[in-house]
Amino acid sequence: MLRGFGAALAKDLRLLVRDRVGLVFLTIAPMVVITVAGLSLASLYGVKSAGDTVSLLPIVDNDGGWVGRAIAEHLAHEPDLETRAVSSTDDARDLVRRKQAAVALVIPAGTSAAIADGGRGHLVLYTDPVRWIERGRLYAVVQDLRHGLEAAAHDEATVALAGTRTRTDEARAALARSAQELDDGLARLRSQLADLQAESERRVAGGRHELAAQLARVAAERRAEASARLATVLAPLRGFLADLARSEQAFGTWLDTVRERAGRFADRIPPPPAPPAIPPELTELAHMEPQALVERLLPADDSAARLPSLPHVDPLPLPAFPRPELPSLPELPALRLPGLIDLEETSVTGAPHRLNPFDQNVPGFSITFLLLGVLLGVSLGFLDERDWGTLARLRTTPTPLAAVVLAKLAARFAIGLAQMLVLFAVGRAAFGVSLGRTPWALLLPTTGIVFAGTAFGLVVAGLTQSREAVLPLGSIVILTMAAMGGCWWPLDLEPRWMQRAALVFPTTWAMDAYNDLMIRRQPAPAVLAATGVLAGFGVLYLALGLVLFRHRVRQVP
Amino acid sequence: MTPLILVDGLRKRFATRVALDGVALTVGAGEIVGLLGPNGAGKSTTLSILATLLPFDDGSVTIAEQPLPAAAARARRALGFVPQRPAFYPTLSARENLRFFARMLGLPSREAAHGVTEVLQLAGLEGRADEPVDRFSGGMQRRLNLACGILHRPRVLLLDEPAVGVDPQSRERLFETVLGLAANGTAVLYSTNQMEEAERLCARVVLLDLGRVVASGTPPALVAQAGVSATVHVRTAHALPKGWLATQGARVLESSDGTTAVAISHSGVVPAVLADVLRAGGDILDFTLHRPTLADAFFSLTGRALRDEGESAAAAG
Repeated sequence: MLRGFGAALAKDLRLLVRDRVGLVFLTIAPMVVITVAGLSLASLYGVKSAGDTVSLLPIVDNDGGWVGRAIAEHLAHEPDLETRAVSSTDDARDLVRRKQAAVALVIPAGTSAAIADGGRGHLVLYTDPVRWIERGRLYAVVQDLRHGLEAAAHDEATVALAGTRTRTDEARAALARSAQELDDGLARLRSQLADLQAESERRVAGGRHELAAQLARVAAERRAEASARLATVLAPLRGFLADLARSEQAFGTWLDTVRERAGRFADRIPPPPAPPAIPPELTELAHMEPQALVERLLPADDSAARLPSLPHVDPLPLPAFPRPELPSLPELPALRLPGLIDLEETSVTGAPHRLNPFDQNVPGFSITFLLLGVLLGVSLGFLDERDWGTLARLRTTPTPLAAVVLAKLAARFAIGLAQMLVLFAVGRAAFGVSLGRTPWALLLPTTGIVFAGTAFGLVVAGLTQSREAVLPLGSIVILTMAAMGGCWWPLDLEPRWMQRAALVFPTTWAMDAYNDLMIRRQPAPAVLAATGVLAGFGVLYLALGLVLFRHRVRQVP
Repeated sequence: MTPLILVDGLRKRFATRVALDGVALTVGAGEIVGLLGPNGAGKSTTLSILATLLPFDDGSVTIAEQPLPAAAARARRALGFVPQRPAFYPTLSARENLRFFARMLGLPSREAAHGVTEVLQLAGLEGRADEPVDRFSGGMQRRLNLACGILHRPRVLLLDEPAVGVDPQSRERLFETVLGLAANGTAVLYSTNQMEEAERLCARVVLLDLGRVVASGTPPALVAQAGVSATVHVRTAHALPKGWLATQGARVLESSDGTTAVAISHSGVVPAVLADVLRAGGDILDFTLHRPTLADAFFSLTGRALRDEGESAAAAG
């Protein structure tokens, strides 16, 4: 039993060592995939690989303010980022649309002023929804930048506020000192004023007494003078009034005489003019005693109204009022709380921001299994024909070899096309993948990649002469094409050099076309170029495959 | 009449190894020519060139009056090829295979259908025509293999060991079919290692060895050309003494353990040889007369050394 087991074990190990296919599958194929995956996914783990990804970030500064300058300064030190000043928003969007950049940053006019005024500023990002990893990285950079700007503004405001608070505290202390000095000065002033008031009252009282005495004396003198002058002045008046009374009496007598002499004509004599009536006040004045008249004109209680002016009192010299040194209050800085910065993201193609991962995976893995089907199918199919002897038999028939080959390719092409359509239909039904604006346009890259893959199967068939050679070569080629071509992960995950190298694979062009249609939601004309390239790959592979295959079959009957 | 197969000075080299070195042969209409030779002699290479599968380096090849390789496409219209290994699609039925090859041979739809029915009967496969052919026995597959090559009634038929490993009944059906085709004017080049098949079927044979034609002609002529004698094998009770044979036209080939082989020029000297045995005191226990065959001529002309290495190299090339 043990001997048999040992012999069987040795036999199987010997078979394995001699099995080139098995050895390739065990070593080379995984190494190729490991290498491709490792190089592709290095950036996912933050590792920089040779020729690492340097992202282009077009910046449109329509603001021209400090925000733009701060952004330029900040991004200048950002690793793996190349900023490019672009003159217009349209130019920036065009760079994203032409896939030269994943994101473009636009600083709208008035952003700096809005933020400085405490309003809300906003930065606009034009993004490519397909390159969501690079977009995410740049979005994070801009977010970081945005937070940096806000933090810088916040710090600046904090420093300004702290300075203001310090100066205010100093001013408040100075003001307190000045207030104290003012209180002290006022107290002194109050005391001085009280003294001054007492002195003034004393002086006024003295003045008033002296003034009253003077007034009484002056009044007596003036009344005496007035009585004398009145007596003098009223004497002629009294004489006149006496004369007048006598005249009136004489006139009356004369008139009576006249009337008597007129007899019967007495009634014709007009009445004589009436002499003017003597005002009673004049009569009274003329008959009043001068003393009484003086008393009447200058009553004794009226003297206060005609007081003589108060004696001049010189004011007491005011005490020197302490002039407080008022502190100059600090100027309030033109300080406002900085405004916030919003990020506004817009897809250049109008596609939604949220990516359905199946929009990437359904076409990617469909292509992978399409290649497995058509590439291995075609090459192994020809090997089957060879092994069955049917290929040799067919070559002896009048039907040209090219017709036989093309017929097989056409059959595989039809199967591949149907396979892709089924996978997309399932993807739509099960995972809701987008079919783009024009679902029929998916036929363009689908036809192209199926054609290219089928034709490449002929190349593999022409290069290999055994099943043992097809499997490792085919698997390595398929896995490499799928991995590097962006079928398993987004192409922008790969280093730039790998992205450029991947352009030699039809998978890259197919995935780009699918991304254009399904994620970027581009119209059909957007994928015409990629479809043309795929058709070119197909024609090239077909021509090369026919030459190789014809050469191959002519070597061995 | 121009032969339908005309080969002259045919040379073919695989890298440094010369596979064919000036091969010349002809096959006329209605003629069956056997192509004989040990493994690696160049039979399959010759057939592949004639079947337009391989280019050749030098010489001239004409198939149905169409020179190769210039007129290969026209030559194929007259060509029927039956490879050594059955060549058809194993998961298709016999009818599906035949219908497909009929179309590839350029037969219109109606003729194809007719031809399919005809060759199914010819191959005795009517009853199993709709089964996948991977269920067929070896003999059935060989018959189908032949049927696929004669669907279009070719003027030239190339057969590469078509009867290897088949049962006697199938072999007989194959032979009858080939003979029938020849009778209808088809030029048949029949490659085989089986001398009996060649003697049975072929009017002429071409013997190849190491890429050269070492002999050609009718089987009896080839035997004569090889100089192979008839032999008498005598078994005696005791070993014969030296010098016992005195008959003119006879010579001892080998003698051991009471068995002696004697080459004779013709069968008329057999009584004299037996008389010499008796005179030498040999008690004759048994004796046989062996007439020379094509196989004897084959061994005589090609030797008995194994040619497997050469065959392997040819296959690899």
